[in-house]
Amino acid sequence: MIVFVSGAARSGKSEAAEVCAIRLSCGGRLHYIATAQAVDEEMTERIRRHQERRAAQAAHWTVWEAPFSSREIAASLRPNDVVLLDCLTAWLAHELFSGESWKTDATAQATARRLLDGVRAWDAACRAVVIVSNELFSGGVPDDPGTFRYMKTLGSLHQQLVAEAAAAAVVECGLLRVKKGRWPR
Amino acid sequence: MRERYGINDGVHIVWHNGYLEPYRSPDGIETAKTVVFDGLEAAIRLRPDADEWESYFRAWQRWEAAAPNRTVVWIGTDVTQGVVPVDPEERRWRDAVGMCYQRLASLCCRVDRLWCGLAERLK
Repeated sequence: MIVFVSGAARSGKSEAAEVCAIRLSCGGRLHYIATAQAVDEEMTERIRRHQERRAAQAAHWTVWEAPFSSREIAASLRPNDVVLLDCLTAWLAHELFSGESWKTDATAQATARRLLDGVRAWDAACRAVVIVSNELFSGGVPDDPGTFRYMKTLGSLHQQLVAEAAAAAVVECGLLRVKKGRWPR
Repeated sequence: MRERYGINDGVHIVWHNGYLEPYRSPDGIETAKTVVFDGLEAAIRLRPDADEWESYFRAWQRWEAAAPNRTVVWIGTDVTQGVVPVDPEERRWRDAVGMCYQRLASLCCRVDRLWCGLAERLK
């Protein structure tokens, strides 16, 4: 099953997704796919905070750091495992902007399809995939073509993931609002 | 969008894309049953005047009423929820979008807010 969690900056979406993944794992292994890359001091600090929080949990996470191979992760999964990807926004940004695929609608959509196929492959190989993403659509629509296409591509990825997800929710001020399906308890 | 509003390829659709070009007037559009305006917030940016836009919305409302089975669909991104911009032009645009959406919503028979493809009906 796919579970989709979105939220604004500092809304508590990562915590909600971690709790959800731990619940779903019931004894299976937990995989954490970390998409953020430490490009500056603030990001390094942010990554460290997330690492400390996970280290404080009783659950043990197998961590896959970006840049990772989607196929390699799929090959390592067992049927009872649970995957948590945090977050889709950084993953898509990396895939679009590390090359030239952001330059046309067709290539950007092809990148989105590749990411979606990666998620589907994980989902087929394990119990659940929890995807964290961001609510970044309310701050205006940018003029520059790169960011515009990024938002458009992320929007269509969100639609497809939520359509395929068994459950989808948005986190606001630490409160989870279920938008689709039944939240894993 | 196509699914929700029962728009299918058998129907003559005129699609305006506000991200690419300014919208046109209803004059001369006779055969179309469905007219869609995408990127409304981008179109408003070119003329951030809610009064002008209200006249435009009403012109299309009259077009819709002038023949049976006509539908006009407006699609806009909500750009009004971020931090209030420092730049006065940006602020003017944002306010105009909020005001236009209010006036448009009062004219429309149906209003949906979409999140990841899921529609929440507001009206």
